[in-house]
Amino acid sequence: MVANVLEVSVADGDRISVGDTLLLLESMKMEIPVLAEVAGEVVEVAVSVGDVIQEGDPLVLIKIESAHNGKNSR
Amino acid sequence: MSTERFSGAVGISRMTVRHGDTAIALGSGDVPVLGTPQVIALAENATITALAEHLDQSETTVGVHVEFNHLATSSVGDEVIATATVVEVSVKKIIFSVECHSGNRLIAKGLITRVLVDRVSFIAKAAAEALTREN
Repeated sequence: MVANVLEVSVADGDRISVGDTLLLLESMKMEIPVLAEVAGEVVEVAVSVGDVIQEGDPLVLIKIESAHNGKNSR
Repeated sequence: MSTERFSGAVGISRMTVRHGDTAIALGSGDVPVLGTPQVIALAENATITALAEHLDQSETTVGVHVEFNHLATSSVGDEVIATATVVEVSVKKIIFSVECHSGNRLIAKGLITRVLVDRVSFIAKAAAEALTREN
């Protein structure tokens, strides 16, 4: 599914908790928040407001607090 | 009649949303925003534009398949631009990738398939079928 990026709620270096809103997407005429599934630190925001994203695109790269490796949150 | 000459052709069509284009006016919904049938009509118009200069007078194309995502709403007064690009051709079939934008927002995206036909034969066949049904 394709979506427009309406809002980016986090920036590089932000500390986030599970459930925090990372992005707001628009698809199927609805606004769809993307919530963090893990707690950690935002390493990279891979999209900007106005971008058109496809299924499978990386959105926000998060370094998980309690794990050894980073993980993509989509 | 080959479709090879259409490869890569691009067409653009634009509209400003009027009250008559809304879902409530079209009967396709009950809200006053651009109705999906009108978005598809605009996209189909872009496919026609893409082929126009490549068609012989005796030829035309007819729409046979539409696969469409209507992603975002447009209001009365908004300008919407559809872009159609031929992405695949086979013997008689032409497949377009179509995108509709309002400003920098992607509001719809999909695939439209058209088939190349002989204009006179097609119209004659349709008329003959109608006559047969009447009798």
